[in-house]
Amino acid sequence: MNIRVENLEFSYDDFRLEIGSLVFAGARVTSIVGPNGAGKSTFLKCAASVLAVPRRSLFVDGKDLTALRGRERAALVGYVPQEPSFTFNYTVLDFVLTGRAAFIPAFSSPAGTDVRLAEDALHYVGLPGRGRRPFLELSSGERRLVLIARALAQGPEVLLLDEPTSFLDPRHEVETMTLCRRLAEDKKKTVVVTLHNLEMAVRYSDAMVFMKGGKVVAAGAPGDILSESLLRDVYDLDMKIVECAGQKFFVK
Amino acid sequence: MTGTCGKGPAGKWYNAPMTPARWFTFLALLAALAASAAPVSAGDPAQDQPAAAVTDSLGRRVVIPPRVRRIISLEPEITRIIVALGGGDRLVGLDFFLRYHDHLFPLLYPAGAGLPVVSNQGQDPNYELVLKLRPDVLFSSPSEFPSTETMQLKLRTPVAALASLGNFGRLLDEIETVGRLIGRVDRARELAEYFRNRIGSVRRALRDVPAGTGPRVYLAFWGSLLRTPVSYEPVDAAGGTNCAAGLLPSYLGAAGATVPVEQILRWDPEVILVQGNYLPAERTVTLQSILRDPRLASLKAVRAGRVHYTFGFWYWWDPALVLVETLYLARLLHPREFPAFDFEKEGNEIFRKFYGIDGAFTALAKILNCHEWVRN
Amino acid sequence: MSGSATKVRGWMVWAAFLLPVVLLLLSLNVGTYHIPLRDVWTTISRGISPAAGAAPSPYADILFRIRLPRLLLALFAGAALSVSGASLQSLFRNPLVFEFSLGISYGAAFGAALSLVFLGKGFPPQLAAFVLAVLAVLLVLVIAGKSASQIVPVLLSGVIVSALFQALLSLVEFFANPYALQSLIFWLMGSLANAVWGDLAVTLPIIVLGIAILILLRWRLNVLSLGEEEARALGVNVKWEKVLVIAVATLTTAAVTSVTGVINWIGLIVPHLVRMMVGPDNRKVIPLSAAFGASLLIVADDIARSAASFEIPIGILTSVVGIPFFIVLLRRSGKAWL
Repeated sequence: MNIRVENLEFSYDDFRLEIGSLVFAGARVTSIVGPNGAGKSTFLKCAASVLAVPRRSLFVDGKDLTALRGRERAALVGYVPQEPSFTFNYTVLDFVLTGRAAFIPAFSSPAGTDVRLAEDALHYVGLPGRGRRPFLELSSGERRLVLIARALAQGPEVLLLDEPTSFLDPRHEVETMTLCRRLAEDKKKTVVVTLHNLEMAVRYSDAMVFMKGGKVVAAGAPGDILSESLLRDVYDLDMKIVECAGQKFFVK
Repeated sequence: MTGTCGKGPAGKWYNAPMTPARWFTFLALLAALAASAAPVSAGDPAQDQPAAAVTDSLGRRVVIPPRVRRIISLEPEITRIIVALGGGDRLVGLDFFLRYHDHLFPLLYPAGAGLPVVSNQGQDPNYELVLKLRPDVLFSSPSEFPSTETMQLKLRTPVAALASLGNFGRLLDEIETVGRLIGRVDRARELAEYFRNRIGSVRRALRDVPAGTGPRVYLAFWGSLLRTPVSYEPVDAAGGTNCAAGLLPSYLGAAGATVPVEQILRWDPEVILVQGNYLPAERTVTLQSILRDPRLASLKAVRAGRVHYTFGFWYWWDPALVLVETLYLARLLHPREFPAFDFEKEGNEIFRKFYGIDGAFTALAKILNCHEWVRN
Repeated sequence: MSGSATKVRGWMVWAAFLLPVVLLLLSLNVGTYHIPLRDVWTTISRGISPAAGAAPSPYADILFRIRLPRLLLALFAGAALSVSGASLQSLFRNPLVFEFSLGISYGAAFGAALSLVFLGKGFPPQLAAFVLAVLAVLLVLVIAGKSASQIVPVLLSGVIVSALFQALLSLVEFFANPYALQSLIFWLMGSLANAVWGDLAVTLPIIVLGIAILILLRWRLNVLSLGEEEARALGVNVKWEKVLVIAVATLTTAAVTSVTGVINWIGLIVPHLVRMMVGPDNRKVIPLSAAFGASLLIVADDIARSAASFEIPIGILTSVVGIPFFIVLLRRSGKAWL
């Protein structure tokens, strides 16, 4: 299920996001990279309907996202924020259960199927049996996985993850990105992640989108578009691309 | 002392014979002495008194200067007494209640409408205005805000807190104290005697009724069924027993207590008295509301229809009104001992005695619509 | 909480819900008018199936006209205030929020003041209190304006509107004649003494409905407590659901306040007590807050009306009964507050 962006415009304060035409391929991992303030998170929030966008600018599987009701939209798009909000220390399972919100009527509580879906999601991300623990007791890496599990419990076709690897140690970084790949390959989800870490992006993505100043500078498979001049344009920094042990590294 | 002044045969000057010249000198000296000693004020039949030390209702010892000519009273009860004693012309400032809200005072002292209002509800008095009015004494209320000490600290004028606090004995003491302070001792004594005699005659008529056997009375005061004063002396003097007596510690005096409804049922009063000293349209508790209240249906008082209005307190008492009230209650509670009589006539007479005004009680009765109550 | 939140077993839930009912039945026997237990029983059974030509007995009046309405009011008011407080805490993601945070208490007080001082018999204080309480909340939402979807602007508006009505209340008190002021001060003290069937017939249905709706929305509050952005991303129509919760909590609290005046602390203490015992999941917190709030207010009111022959203001008792509980539980649960 692909995502098609058509003349998306969003602005707040002085910042303006303008994307003319962009397609995210289905069942693939696409990473969005760029300097701070490029609009990566803003774009993701637009796609997640957290921010309001004009009509007919975002299409998932051909359907205009803005025209969909909450439930239909939730069946299509799931969002994993960078920081979870927490005021209350719910258990992990209760937290993941909230992902089922769109499918449970307002005056009802989760049914057995909802609970099972939540537990399956926890299992899939590698946290079986943690359901009863309070959320704040988990390490930050595990908390990220819980957030992903919540999105999975929602069962959408598209997963948007905002900086899923920030503040994680290398092992957890790899685990998270591997999970993203599994989601794309095994479950055929369309995964879009925003990343700072270029190495991770190149290694785990099928496609990359470079953004700067609210605009898309380049988009395509890493092999096709990656070049030192592109990096200089986007990051205003001289970088050398170095290959080592079959992976690309970026030396500043 | 020997000397040259008129030595007489005995050698002492005071034994000298009184010649006309000496008589004249003597009389002239006497006249000069008399002139200098006579009080300056006009129309005051009073004596020249030294500074008076008064112990006020808060137990404070207050020294009040000998000539009290300018008075501000923030305690309505004292203002009423001052007017009854004929000292109304000495008032230079009035409190907000008597000026704007009391139904009775404008009838008793119409000139009060011209006096500056010095206080306001729940606030400090207007100290600047007080200073401008230069009172010789300020009477404060012992039971109201702000505290007397605070006022005394801000004013050089002596401040005395006086109020009966719901006690006849203290009311009479106050009449005499105020009388002493404003130089109306005789008038004060006259009114105090009158009050004592009338209450005395009520008590005498009740002497054959054993103590504590008077009808049990529940008082619904201050616009609420559930608020009752734990002590209301007119009821006691009229031979009734206040159900709420002893509910609160005695040092609190005539304080009001809030009771749960079933406490009223527990007391099962024979008579219920509702504070009627409100404009009829403003009454929140009425005889009808009590008679029709389904929770109170089993009370003796409700079943017998013995639910009546009475005057009650507002900033303690008016001495004339509380006397009328006691007589009214005596008739209500002990019809056998007190034959029916013309209340309006009696009320007017008492008010004339105290204030020298005709028809004051009739006027009040019209405002409060009390013709119903006082029907025998 | 470190996993020390009690696992809620089925029987505990039943016990929690039975508690207020049991307390109500026991409290029928509590009061300054002593009725022997046997007579309590006879009166109740006669009340359920009345004998012909029964004279108005004080026992029946006390049980059915005085104690029963008051106990029912205590039960439902306690439940309503607790549930409203808990709901608003979740909605606004702020543990310091309680049912009066949106200006209801001062709005109601001002309404009662207007009625008792100026409007007179035609507009009784209960009605005026209700109307003004609801108006206060509407004013809060209007002032918050476009930012009404965010928490801080709404709470700030609540503070401002409370302050506004408090000032207006003082103004009314300033101009009130002493006769009306007495009644007003009495009203403001907060008390369950005015529980009469006439008033309850109108307000209890509203209160019960409000409690029921908030209990039905209990899981939804978990979702809404994630915050505006996340809830929206999850596909929830945040605006409508937020309005619903605020509206129901407001109407319920306003209905309670119109009869009882302002009774503080319950909406703040009870939900926290419950969270300390069973954790923050609203599926448990909301219904248990109702049950414990009801129990707390029944017990507090029992003391208010029977510890002495005079009535003790209930606001004092809700704090005296609730706060020690709170402290004990706080110490036991360690540092985690929520």
